[in-house]
Amino acid sequence: MSWTEFWIVLGVCAITMLACRVLPLFLLKGKALPETLGRALGFIPPAAFAALVANDLLTPGMFSGGLWPAAIPLIAALCVIVVACKTRSLLYSALTGVIAYALLTLI
Amino acid sequence: MAIMAFTMIEKTHVKEAFQAAVPIMLGYVAIGIPCGILCDSIGLNALQVFLLSALFYSGAGQFMIPNMYLAASPLASIIASVSLVNTRQMLYAASFAPECKGVSKRLAFFFAATVTDESYGVSTAKFAEGHWSVDRALMVNLFSQSSWTVSNVVGVLVGSAIGIPLNIAAFAMTAIFICLLVTQKMTSANIVAIVCAMLGVYGCKLIGLGGPAILIGALAGVAVAMVFERLQRNSREAGERS
Repeated sequence: MSWTEFWIVLGVCAITMLACRVLPLFLLKGKALPETLGRALGFIPPAAFAALVANDLLTPGMFSGGLWPAAIPLIAALCVIVVACKTRSLLYSALTGVIAYALLTLI
Repeated sequence: MAIMAFTMIEKTHVKEAFQAAVPIMLGYVAIGIPCGILCDSIGLNALQVFLLSALFYSGAGQFMIPNMYLAASPLASIIASVSLVNTRQMLYAASFAPECKGVSKRLAFFFAATVTDESYGVSTAKFAEGHWSVDRALMVNLFSQSSWTVSNVVGVLVGSAIGIPLNIAAFAMTAIFICLLVTQKMTSANIVAIVCAMLGVYGCKLIGLGGPAILIGALAGVAVAMVFERLQRNSREAGERS
C-alpha cells in the first residue's frame, strides 16, 4: 500500500470513526433520553456483540470445504463460552480461544 | 492530546482504571501483534501503523484494511466497508450519554473518541456496578489504546520473522467478543436480540452484504427485541386487567 493510498484510507476511516464515536454523545448530552430510545440503547450491547460473534463464526457455505475445518472455530468458541461463563474474564477467554484454536488446528 | 486529558484526571483513580484495563491490554497484545504482522504484509511501516492506531484506533477496522487489501479490493470498497462497520460505535457512544451528563465537554470528547468494543463492555459493566466515573473510563480507554498501539508497532517490527498463523491469533478477538456477549443479562428480550442479530448477520452474508452485515444484524436484533418487549408488556397488562 503506497503512502497516498494510506492517507486516503486513514483520513476517511479516522474521520467517519471520530464522527460515529463523538457526535451521538454530544447530540444527546444534557437531554433526558426519550423512553423508547433508552430501551433501544439497552438492547444494543447484546445485539452488537451477537452480530460481531456471528460475523466471525458464521459464513454461508462454511461446511462445503469439509466438516472439520469449519468446526474448529465453532468448537473453540464453545470452549470460550464455558470459560467466559465461569470466569467472566476477557483475558482468560482470549487465552482459551487462542489455545483451543491452535490445538484443534494441530489435530 | 492524551497529556491534556491526563491533567483532568484524579491520580487516585489511575490505579482503579489500570486494574480494569489490564484484561483489555493483555487481549490487545494478543490481537495487536498479529494485526501489525498483517499490516506489514501489505507494506505498511511502523509509522503508518502507529498513525492508524493513534488516530483511527479500531481492532476490527485495522484487521479489515490489510485483509481486504490483500484480497485486492478497491480502495473505495475498503473505505466503505470499514466505515459501515465503524457505525456500530454510534450505538456505544450514545449509550454513555447519561454518564457523561455534567462532565466537561473536553473529558466527554476524549472519552467518546477512544471507546472500543472491549472498553465499551468493561465501562458498561463498571458503570452498572456503580462507583465509576467518566475520568476512570477515559483512563481505561487510554491504557487500552497504548497497549494496542505498542503491540501493533511491535507486530510490524517483528513482521513475518515469527510464524504465528494469523487465523489463530485473530481468534483472540473473537474470544473477547464471545466473553462480552455471554456476560450480558440473559433476559428473554435480550436473547431475542441476540438470536435475531446472529440471523441478521448470516442473512446479510447470504445475500452478499458482508460489509454492512454487523450493522444491519445488530439493528435487526434491537428492532425485533423492542417489538418483543412491547408485546410482552401488552400481554402482561392485558393479564392484569382481566
